[in-house]
Amino acid sequence: MAYERSVLSSLKASQFRCFDSLRLTLEPGVTLFVGDNAQGKTTILEAACVLLRLQSPRASQLGETIRIGHDACAIGGSLAESELLLQYSEKAGRKLRLDGETQRRSADYLRASELVVWMANDDLALVRGGGEGRRRYLDFMAAQLYPAYRPALQAYDRALRSRNFLLKRDASPRWAEIDAYTRLLAQHGEVLTRHRREVIDRLAPYAAEAQRQISDRDEDLRIAYEPGTTSGDAADDLATELIARRDEEFRKRQTIAGPHRDDLSLAVNNLPAAKFASEGQQRTVALALKLAQSRLFLEMRRRPPLLLVDDVFGELDPGRRNALMAAWPADSQKLITTTHLHWLDDRFASAAVITVTGGQVAPANR
Amino acid sequence: MPVDYPFPVKALIQQLKRLPGIGPKSAERIAIWLMQRGCEATAPFAEALNAAGTEVSECDVCGFFATEAEGCAVCDGPGRDHAVLCVVEQPTDILPLERSGAYRGHYHSLRGKISPLENVGPEDLRIAELIGRIRDGHFAEVILAFSADVEGEATANYLVEILSAFDGVRVTRLAHGLPVGGGLENADELTLYRALEGRVGLR
Ligand SMILES: [Zn+2]
Repeated sequence: MAYERSVLSSLKASQFRCFDSLRLTLEPGVTLFVGDNAQGKTTILEAACVLLRLQSPRASQLGETIRIGHDACAIGGSLAESELLLQYSEKAGRKLRLDGETQRRSADYLRASELVVWMANDDLALVRGGGEGRRRYLDFMAAQLYPAYRPALQAYDRALRSRNFLLKRDASPRWAEIDAYTRLLAQHGEVLTRHRREVIDRLAPYAAEAQRQISDRDEDLRIAYEPGTTSGDAADDLATELIARRDEEFRKRQTIAGPHRDDLSLAVNNLPAAKFASEGQQRTVALALKLAQSRLFLEMRRRPPLLLVDDVFGELDPGRRNALMAAWPADSQKLITTTHLHWLDDRFASAAVITVTGGQVAPANR
Repeated sequence: MPVDYPFPVKALIQQLKRLPGIGPKSAERIAIWLMQRGCEATAPFAEALNAAGTEVSECDVCGFFATEAEGCAVCDGPGRDHAVLCVVEQPTDILPLERSGAYRGHYHSLRGKISPLENVGPEDLRIAELIGRIRDGHFAEVILAFSADVEGEATANYLVEILSAFDGVRVTRLAHGLPVGGGLENADELTLYRALEGRVGLR
């Protein structure tokens, strides 16, 4: 069955990281970007990600993406019948346009956008690294599936920063003020907890299936939600817990429980993957998580996401590479970066190849 | 040295640039507009500026704009319901509530909201004055009408706790609803989410 999808047919950027001016036509199927490291390949995928999802996997603030020596950047593109445009300047902040019309609310803009899955060589950190990367993975996914998630996350983060600031600021903390934020954390945190739990429950069978497919062995991947609280999921539970553990917060001078301490536990054959899995198994887990995300998007939204695949292909052994190609959504549009094309075969006959050198792009001879 | 504007023009541009939302280019444009019209434009402008600066002050009670001659239009106005008090962030928030025609009680502007990240604490706001008014007044209900952002909600939470010391005073906040005339498809998700949470029973 063919799914409905929106193709990103062109991508433009100006004063974005190393690109003075970028203009690209993209294939409905696969577009490959070839070049040495640090030439701007990843930046092209980042531009597509920011344009479609308003966030970057490489920057916490859009200001970081402005080309050095400039004070504004812009990204635009044609997605199906729509023209998307994002402008960012340090002074005026972010401006969004949809078909030339200014969009005051990001939710309106995002409704016209497409789903995105970002796969990268450093996804291995999802398995080996700290919980922050796994929370970012969950956030990026949940924000695309549940419209109430993004505003709740932004409000939670701001309330958490305020609360931690108050816990640190005064020798004798002012609990009346701190508790004003405790209730806010609880209220917005409940939205995060509920959606994270749901997303992980739905993701788990797809992650297990992808692990078996890529490993071609009976590797059993289990993922589970590990809440950052010792109490229940309800909003009152977090507030009650924080008030009960006040002495501990006084000693540590930070908010000691809540969704900002959530984690996603990963176990291969019943053993924690970070400690006991081999590097090969860990690479498979990282791929399986991203493939599971694509399948979840297909299941929940009936749309194949745009796949942004950064520096993954050249690094995989042929077995995993073939398994990845067999398992990813066939209907998805794909933008792929790589340092070399040794692995390229007939399956990419219709792909466009573009070379990227020093912030310049050119069609390649194949 | 290259030629520049004479001093009075430069001084005027300097003052205009300090206004909120006015950049150097707009300041220059406004200054030139005034210069080209001369005294006819500048004299009434200067007069209005001066009067606003010297005659208008903050009402000690509610925080709205008041004048020596006419007092405070809110506190001294006729037909006020002395049993209800509506707490707002800024004096300018009073006008839209007044225009709604749905409210005839008293107001209290806090002159801001709690925001530790911007170094604004409860002691920087008119909270002591608020507590004094409730203690000495006969309010049966206090309505908290703050913006729906993190700082507005934190300020509301803080006040709810403090005001719980007053038995017999009901504390309420504005409902988050759908905009009038807007269909469900035009409401953003957070508005819908809150409207659902605050839904009202019909039978
Ligand atoms: Zn007054």
